[in-house]
Amino acid sequence: MTGSVHRRQQRAAWIFAAPVLGIIALVFVLPTLLALALSVTDYSIYALADWSNLRFVGFGNFADLLATPLFWRALRNTAIFAGLGVPMAIGTSLATALLLHDATVRWKPVWRVALFAPYVTGIVATAVVWRFVLNTRFGLLNWALAQVGVAPVDWLGDPRWSIPAILLFVTWKVFGYNMIVFTAALAAVPGELMEAARLDGAGAWTRFRHVTLPAIGPTLLLAAVMSVAGFLQLFAEPYVMTLGGPSQSTVTVLYFMFDEGFKWWNLGQASAVAFVLFVLILGVTLVQTRIGRRYEWL
Amino acid sequence: MGGRAHDPRTTRRSLIAMGAGGLTAAALATTGCLRRHDPAALTFWGTGYEGDYSPHLAAAFTTATGIPVETQSLPGTAAHEKFLTAHAGGSLPDVMMLPSGWVAEFAMIGAVAPLPDPALATDTFHGVMRPLTFAGVPHAIPWSVGSQVQFYRRDLLGEVGYDAAPLTWDGWRDVGAKLKRRHPDRFAILMFLNWWDTLITFAGQAGAYPLRDRDTRGDFRNPRYREALAFYVSLFADGYAPGVSSNEIQDPLAAFAQGYFALYPSGPTLLTDLHRRAAEIAPDRWGTARMPGPNGPGRVSAINNSIAVSATTPRPREAWALARHLTSAASELTFQRMIGSLPARRSAWTSPQLADPLLRPFAAQMELPAELPIIVEWERIRLEVQIVAERVVRGGLTIDEGLAAMDARVDAILARRRELVAAGRIA
Amino acid sequence: MAVTRRRLRTVAMNLAVAALALVTLAPFAWMVTVSFMPRYESSRYPPPIWPSRWTWENYYELLVRRVIDGAVFDYRIVPALGNSLLIATVSTLLGLLLTVPAGYAFAKLRFRGRERLLQLLVAALVVPGQVSMLPLFLLFRELRLVNSYAGVILPGLAGIFAILFVRQATLSIPDEMIDAARLDGAGEMRIFRTIVLPLLAPVTVTLALFLFLGSWNDFLWPLIVLADQHRYTLPVAVAAISREHAADGELMMAAAVVTTLPVLLLFLALQRYYIGGLLGGSVKG
Repeated sequence: MTGSVHRRQQRAAWIFAAPVLGIIALVFVLPTLLALALSVTDYSIYALADWSNLRFVGFGNFADLLATPLFWRALRNTAIFAGLGVPMAIGTSLATALLLHDATVRWKPVWRVALFAPYVTGIVATAVVWRFVLNTRFGLLNWALAQVGVAPVDWLGDPRWSIPAILLFVTWKVFGYNMIVFTAALAAVPGELMEAARLDGAGAWTRFRHVTLPAIGPTLLLAAVMSVAGFLQLFAEPYVMTLGGPSQSTVTVLYFMFDEGFKWWNLGQASAVAFVLFVLILGVTLVQTRIGRRYEWL
Repeated sequence: MGGRAHDPRTTRRSLIAMGAGGLTAAALATTGCLRRHDPAALTFWGTGYEGDYSPHLAAAFTTATGIPVETQSLPGTAAHEKFLTAHAGGSLPDVMMLPSGWVAEFAMIGAVAPLPDPALATDTFHGVMRPLTFAGVPHAIPWSVGSQVQFYRRDLLGEVGYDAAPLTWDGWRDVGAKLKRRHPDRFAILMFLNWWDTLITFAGQAGAYPLRDRDTRGDFRNPRYREALAFYVSLFADGYAPGVSSNEIQDPLAAFAQGYFALYPSGPTLLTDLHRRAAEIAPDRWGTARMPGPNGPGRVSAINNSIAVSATTPRPREAWALARHLTSAASELTFQRMIGSLPARRSAWTSPQLADPLLRPFAAQMELPAELPIIVEWERIRLEVQIVAERVVRGGLTIDEGLAAMDARVDAILARRRELVAAGRIA
Repeated sequence: MAVTRRRLRTVAMNLAVAALALVTLAPFAWMVTVSFMPRYESSRYPPPIWPSRWTWENYYELLVRRVIDGAVFDYRIVPALGNSLLIATVSTLLGLLLTVPAGYAFAKLRFRGRERLLQLLVAALVVPGQVSMLPLFLLFRELRLVNSYAGVILPGLAGIFAILFVRQATLSIPDEMIDAARLDGAGEMRIFRTIVLPLLAPVTVTLALFLFLGSWNDFLWPLIVLADQHRYTLPVAVAAISREHAADGELMMAAAVVTTLPVLLLFLALQRYYIGGLLGGSVKG
């Protein structure tokens, strides 16, 4: 009896799962393995012209990468993006979640929808809008700054301000998602503990530090680590807004890979970059599992 | 959310059903009335103004032959990757406009077909066909020649004692200094840090060829190139030119018209813009002259475009007919009227519409393009050299460090070519 | 005293939230007003917030196929809209068809290799999608899928996240219900259709929304795979225009409106499901 039930389940399971697993194998597993293979060849435009030009180069692509100044620049830019962006994004999400969580705020669903709206819209259209908002002369941001007496900033033309400019846009775009995640986490903070702390005379900051923060800690860290992985994959914003400039100050690892791969057709080199990106994100995820285990969350 | 009169599951289900149904209906409806890609039409891809206005020329072709043509205008900054991925994916258009520097590269990878009849490309200027020839066979027809000249403000130069634009580097520096003294908050020369044409012009003027050893190594440290780079950097260092990239000056023509710049190196299409916006700057206030060289005018950067036919087009005869039409003298003159691009066809230059004195500097430069390497990697080298030049201008590198960086970078880019040349696999 | 302090705090908090919402929505509002301004009006200092006169000319130029002297000028935005709609709809429907049963299978069906496959799926989440993009292009080239709708849709169907999402939701369905139905002699298909699917309805709607928005907003892969302007999706078409027309603020804002308006409307209509799906039922309202 149990045997045939299991056999039936087995058959049904394969009917249910096989199609999507097959697609995953075709468009994900296979190309990833191919990427590994490509990264040890010198596939370039010469190979596109003539297959016999293709050669195995082992770690040659990786060595070339290490000697390419733009690659290091891209790594540095990406690190700055993540290093500045994650606190900005997570901080904004947390602050807004706390704000919305306050008991005195009315019409919460309305505000939630308004603050979440940027997240659902696409990257290209909003990047185009923000390119205009950040315009030095005609943009809304510099106009608003001028109202409070700040001189106009050359957001997208000055290499020192280009990364903060893009981060302003990215923060605006993504903070809604984690705001919702933190809202859910805040709702799970044990109410009795809060009441007890309040009765004991603890101030708002102390309550936050000793009751709220430990309760949402795991969620906070998980969101931060996932956020880092997201920032490591920044591409569309530099592509639409700055073309990697000015002075290559917004070239990210993925932008570098795209240019190398599709603009110059150095697929061998580009696959090596993809592999490096993979290792970076793997590192981030390992950190995540380690932190998760420490908080006994996983 | 208040209570509901209905069972929530039914409401949800009907909502889902409606949503899915509505979306599917909308999708089918939209695609149903979409203008479908006409299989009988020839496809043509162009960039820039030529791409935008090619429908006009295509219309004339359709009227004459009855073959419909569909044109697509690609953004110039994305054209290289679009063409490459289209070739790799087998979806190149029948006919395409390529900057001349790309033709050899595309011929090597088998994307463009050789000319069926060499006579298609004989009626042109010396030096224009060289980049379009691969393995001894021409692979594209020259379409337009856009040499760089200087547009200058007669009135502003008159104020500082010049009745014509200076044709030497010393003259440019003199004008720059004088203008700067008169109007310290303005500039003299409009050059963008992310545009490579002016530096190439200076290198051409100085007679510096950028590569050596059969185009497998950089030669940027030779004294002639050094001279060109030093002059280029000095213009920024002394404040005669603003150290900005093209997206910081939204409207360069307006800046030129308002007198913020007195010298504006540019190509022939600027003529059309200036004529169109004559209200902002009257025609008698500006003129054109050849670009200055160390000892007078010489070779300049030229942005030449050519027409090529895909090697995999299913209809080569019609595609070549379209190519022939687009590069006919009549079409090229039409374009000159519409957008200012100058014909590559020598016989078109006898037309009275090209007798305008403003076009004389262009005509003089047609025969003198800067000698540039015809290799696959040149596009990339050009961009990277300009990036290093930008860093030198912004103060991150000295001139010698910059030249060394250029050589190092170019040697790295050419590594593969070096190996293939050494193995005798390419010329 | 305490009452006034509390009243003050309420006012202050609500004002703060309102201000925040205003700042967040300001770019959208400006996007809409600029799109209705006459040409070149926004290229002035100080930048105008309100159009001097409301005009449709930017939308006209963007959307309408104009014929001038026999020559056709077309930004091809309406076809791009249609393409996006078609691709997003097909992606969503196919995506649901593929991942919902799979998610259920991983949650409730016992089969050999389930745990191992699950581990592999979770591990696969680590690998960024862009790693496979270059070889995927070469692969699709062999399969002649480049520059086709199928080529755009197919990679989006590898919904690892969707499978895990559905699995998570399905785990909460009590096993007893399903086992009871099995004992009654119902086949697995029947159990799935009559018992599980209705229970998964809200999750399905949320997932459908995620899939639709994900496909609609997808940019990098369509950019690589589509060469033909006729097949461009909306983000790719807008990106192409934005390169050459950076200075045409009004035109670009009109394009942005056309791209974001459908999404915002869809989101407004179904925000309960989207935000509710993320909240996981832990917050009321």
